[in-house]
Amino acid sequence: MNGGPAQEPSDETLVARAAAGDDSAFETIVTRYQARVFRLACRLTSETDAPDVLQETFLQVYRHLPSFRGESQFRTWLYRIASNAALMHRRAATRRRSEPLDEFLPKFDAHGQHVATPAELQVASRADELLDRQFLAGKAREIIAELPDVYRDAFVLRDLEEMSTEEVASALGVTPATVRQRAHRARLILRGYLSELVGVKP
Amino acid sequence: MNETVCISGVELLMDYLDGVLSADVKAALDAHVAGCQRCTAFVASYLATARILRDATDASLPAAVEESLAAFLRARTNAFRSR
Repeated sequence: MNGGPAQEPSDETLVARAAAGDDSAFETIVTRYQARVFRLACRLTSETDAPDVLQETFLQVYRHLPSFRGESQFRTWLYRIASNAALMHRRAATRRRSEPLDEFLPKFDAHGQHVATPAELQVASRADELLDRQFLAGKAREIIAELPDVYRDAFVLRDLEEMSTEEVASALGVTPATVRQRAHRARLILRGYLSELVGVKP
Repeated sequence: MNETVCISGVELLMDYLDGVLSADVKAALDAHVAGCQRCTAFVASYLATARILRDATDASLPAAVEESLAAFLRARTNAFRSR
């Protein structure tokens, strides 16, 4: 963030000022991050629950800013708070899928080769061209909501919010290897789900 | 890894993309995928999955939600008093 006529203060500057009791600095932090936290909350819960998660997140930030030590980036710390707030909301309204998600994993023959043909394997990459936009948006939210919590958190932070594996590990309090394993599993399931949506076996 | 087959490629794909595989395993995987139409197709759809779901779940903050957030914080903190 440089080159502009009025340079925006960095997160570190704002966090230090807010922690020292400057409420206008806290307001700037809220303004800067509210849209991103809302989008994250929609992805981790639902559009219905996201406004509550958003409010809870920034209230926690306000209360805990004085004890934020700056050991991680502010954004990582913020996303950890938001993920926890989302988890609390999910606990309140848990939905469970009737069929196991394993049905969406890729299938292999006795030689370890893909059972599906190249054309069948390829088709998920065109799901956005083949399906109605609104329909896909609804189905995407539905299946992400049905993932086990640990897979959803890793996938949403790593792939949808595009954080680095290390950043996600820090936000979730697990190792990078665990993030990779969980995000990978989620990708496999979701890829298979997209295949099924367009009418092909994963 | 003696013989790389599709199933091991799938198992190692995330580690491959994150750059944490050893050079020899990576080379074996590259060689397999280059000669396997199924794996080439699979990798394309695996990579597309994140992009498709990212676009499908994008959401913008409604003005009413932004206003509720400010009102909520005004009631519980010292912030947003001057708005």
